[in-house]
This record gives sequence, C-alpha cells and structure tokens, in this order.
Amino acid sequence: MIVTVQKTLDEIFDSLSPYTSVLIAGCDGCTQPPRGLREAEALSRLLELGARSRGKKLDFKVTTHPKQCDSYLVADMLEPQTEDVEAVLSLACGVGVQTLTQVLPELVTLPAQNTLFMGMEAREGGTFEENCAACGDCILALTGGICPIARCAKGLLNGACGGSSDDKCEQDPQKDCAWCLIYKRLQKLDRLDILREFRPPRNFRAVSRPGRLKQ
Amino acid sequence: MNTSVTQQTVAVTLNEEYCSRCSICSSLCPFEAIKKEPETGKIVLEIEKCQVCGLCYATCPANAISSVYYDIDSLTGYLKRAKQEYESDTLVIMCNGSTPDFGGVEKLFGVSKFIPLFVPCVGRMPEEILLRAITMGIREIHVLACDEDYCRFDKGSAVAGRKILALNLLLEQLGYGTEVINLKRNSLKVKVDKDKCITCGNCVFYCPYHAAKLENGAASFDLDLCRGCGLCVALCPAFALELENWEKERISTLISKLSLEMEKPKVLIFRCQWAVLPPVDEDFGSHVRAIDLPCAARVDMLHILEAFQNGIDGVLIAACHEEECKQEKKGSKEAQHQVAVLKERLSQIGLGDRLHFCFVAPRYPEVFTAELGQFAEGIGADFLKGGDE
Repeated sequence: MIVTVQKTLDEIFDSLSPYTSVLIAGCDGCTQPPRGLREAEALSRLLELGARSRGKKLDFKVTTHPKQCDSYLVADMLEPQTEDVEAVLSLACGVGVQTLTQVLPELVTLPAQNTLFMGMEAREGGTFEENCAACGDCILALTGGICPIARCAKGLLNGACGGSSDDKCEQDPQKDCAWCLIYKRLQKLDRLDILREFRPPRNFRAVSRPGRLKQ
Repeated sequence: MNTSVTQQTVAVTLNEEYCSRCSICSSLCPFEAIKKEPETGKIVLEIEKCQVCGLCYATCPANAISSVYYDIDSLTGYLKRAKQEYESDTLVIMCNGSTPDFGGVEKLFGVSKFIPLFVPCVGRMPEEILLRAITMGIREIHVLACDEDYCRFDKGSAVAGRKILALNLLLEQLGYGTEVINLKRNSLKVKVDKDKCITCGNCVFYCPYHAAKLENGAASFDLDLCRGCGLCVALCPAFALELENWEKERISTLISKLSLEMEKPKVLIFRCQWAVLPPVDEDFGSHVRAIDLPCAARVDMLHILEAFQNGIDGVLIAACHEEECKQEKKGSKEAQHQVAVLKERLSQIGLGDRLHFCFVAPRYPEVFTAELGQFAEGIGADFLKGGDE
C-alpha cells in the first residue's frame, strides 16, 4: 500500500489561506494508515479549531470514496460534491491529488499528506516498511523474495557491500542489511547457487518516467 | 506519581479485630489481593493488587471489610432520596458493564418507571442493602448482571446470582412472595454496518478477543467472543462499527448537553468505568463533568475534538494502569497512544496542554482527584474566540 504521513497543520493552513470553503476528500483505497472518513472528519475538526484560534472562519465538508486515483470514480463520486467549494484538500497519496487536479481542472486540489513509499504494514511493531521500489524489472525470484533495490541502501545486485555489521546496514544500524536477509533466506531454501551467478546492471529503461501502461 | 501523598486513602480496608478468618473473602477475590497467611492464619489484604470489585466487602459475614465506594450507608441514603425523586417502588440495579440505555432497560424488564442504581458489578451489592430496600417499601427489585463469562471481576456476576437465589428463598419464607428479586444477564456488543466497511483490517488486528474477521468483503464479528470494549469502534476509519449503549451519536449528544450545563472553564472527563468508580452521588460542581466508557479504548478522538468545538476548555482521559486493563491489557495502552497522537496534533494549533491522559486505579481515589485538580487548575477559560457558539 501507499504510505503517507500528514503534513503539519501550519503547512496545510498556509496552503488553504486563499480559500474559505473546502472539501476534505478521504481515500478508501490503499493509502495507509487509512485515510478515510474518520481522518477527514478529524482533520476538519482540527482545522476548524485552529482557524478559530487564528480568528478565521473556514467551512469544511468531508467525504471519502474508494480509489481517489481512479479518474472515472472521481468524476462519478467526488465531482458532484464539489459544487459549492473553492478547494479540495486531499487525504490521498500524490496520485490521488493529481487525479483530482486532472478531473476537476476548475478547482484547486491541495495535498494534506506527504507520500512516502510503497510498503508493508508491520502491525505488531506498529511500523510501515518500504518493500518495493516499483523498478519495473522484478528480481524477487532470484533474491529469495527480498528486494535489494528497495531494501538495500545502495540498491546492490550482487551481494552485500561489506559494510554491514551484525546483519545491520552501515548506513542505518537500526535497519536490516537486505543482502544478509537474502543470503539467509536462500541458504534456508538451499538455493545459494543462485548467488554464484553474476547479475549485470539493471535495465533502467524498464520504466521510463513518467510511467504509462496501456490496459 | 503523587508520591507526596503519604497518608493516602485506600478504597478497601480490613479490620483485623472483626475478622473471623473464615477465608470467604480470600476464596472469592479475583485478583489474589486477599490471602490467608499460612503460618498465622491471619487474613491479609494487599492493596496494591486490589481492583476494588467489592466482592469481599459484600460477602464478609463479620463486617470486617470496609469500602469507600457503595457501602451500605451511602447506598441506603441514595435509596431514600431516590425513592422520593423517582416516585417509584421498583428498583433496578444495573452493572455498568452490561446496561443498555433506559429504553433498553425498560424493554428487558418490562418496567417503565423505576429507581435506577448503577454499580460497577452487581456482585458488590451486600444482601443487606437488598433487604433494606424491601423494608423501605420497594416491591420489585430487578438486577441486571453481565453474562457470567463477561464479568470484568471474574466471579461478580456468578456471586450475585447465588445471592439472589438464596435471598428469594428467604423472602418467600418470610411471606414476601416468590421471585421478589429478578435477575437478568446481558452483554453489550459491537454492531457492524457492512456497507460502510472498507476492509482495512483494523478491527481484526486490534480486537483483544479475536472476535473480528474479514469475510466476504467486510468485517464480521463472532458475538460470542466480543466483550464490548469498543476499541475497534474508536479505531474504525470508516465509521462502520458501533458499540451498543456507547453509540457515537449518543456520546455526541451527551457532550453538547454536558457542555451547556457547565460554567467556564469547563473540564470534561472521559473515563474508563473500571479506572474511576464514581461515588453514588457524585457532584463535580459546575465546571466539571464526566462521561463513563466501557474502556478508555472507546475514547474516540473525534469526540475529544468535538468537546473542544463545543466550548470545553480541557479534556481529561482517565484509564486503568496497563496491567489492570480489563480488556486483555490492550485497551488502556492503545488509548494512551491515540491520545498522544492527537495531543501532538493539537499542540500544532496551540491546544496541546488542554488534553491530558492519566493512569489511575480506584484503590487510590485521591490520585484521580489530584490529577483532576491539577489539570483543572492549569486550564484557563475562553481559549477560543467564540468557543461557546
């Protein structure tokens, strides 16, 4: 899922400063932690309280729908609710914000989140962990299901760099060394032979930016 | 916390002079706080382990145990006043853990006018108070207990059941008729609106009782496992869940009603009903009101914000200590986390100091009073322009 973190209220207030009537739009898609109706409602209340203490008055409406990244759903479900607002404050990832901008060109859509990465929700530890870099050339079959592109700080393809210590990354000792994990995983699978083969540099043309896929 | 209080009042005390060492109390105590010393045969109360369920107080045949909550004198006083106030000769004693709203109580017992008496566990009602009620002219007594395996104090509901059975036999022999005291059991459960569910899995992960599952594209609950703590309700991002008796709308209505009653500066307390046991006639004066919840985990961050929007100047959350949380030790901790996150956000708009979370236990009633006093003192009125609108 797409992991996001909410912007500071100061930053949101600054971006909202020219507007007085705002629709806060949640996303019931993959944005995590969930940015649905509860988040929209909570943010509207915080902003309303904050505006009051600044001597301002802001009018909020809140809504949510599945997949703010779906141009058809946005036109179908969100657009009818935008008639009497000057701006939309989106709780979705950066894709959602841009979908709204494209589908609702007469309106200003502003982000309430910073979009961080695609990751796993590790519930027990209460963390989100980046696991996939969307490189367009998946090598998980060769690395025991552990991605060195996303999880190795250097994105190496041919084994550990030599800087890891106690299975931790030299760049951040709080994080696991991805190549140590890969080695142990392949050892367990009795497939260390995979590592003997040299991997040439990755195909960086697999995804040309900006990416586009015809369905 | 509060170490300066040297002579702290404790909620339960044992008077050795009266104790006949019969061990009934130690056999009933759900928390192993009362034990018989093997060498001396003396009964000893370890207050640090006591969670003030009141089972020992209500059962001690020698009156050797005293309790600052719901003792016979205060209950008798309440009954006298309430009999006048409610103009009824029907008494309904309800455990806070299992009681629906008044409409629900009416439906359960088929009574429309009654004297309500809320207690944290009906197991703590001494037989004497039930007999006194009858001598005071009460003609019908209905008791609402939690389902036995749902009782927060383990044996409270079962003990109440046995007492009522014995009392009914006694009353019948004395000529008061049969089944004078009517016992019913009830549990409050979660309700799901499957159409609103976004299958995020929060309820599945957070439910302390593993009652939630994602099935056929929506959350579903095994209601036999649900214990009605409300943790899932407060964390559901899509408002797909409700907890009976603590519905969002009902708490919202209560917030605005209480705010209107209060004078500035206004302090609203959300408290776990097992962390703070309210005295029978609780009186906070004009600046403070409390909303009791089935667990601090039911504290909804939106309700806290709503309180501020309604002109409340300070919100205090009182939760059980983590190891004493009645919801598998998960509720209190999660509430602390949620409040901390909200407090951080509130501090971004200068309101962080207006929200305070504390761990308390009913065995030391003064700790809660001190927390409230300190917090209320630091809260100035009128922090928002037009806050009362």
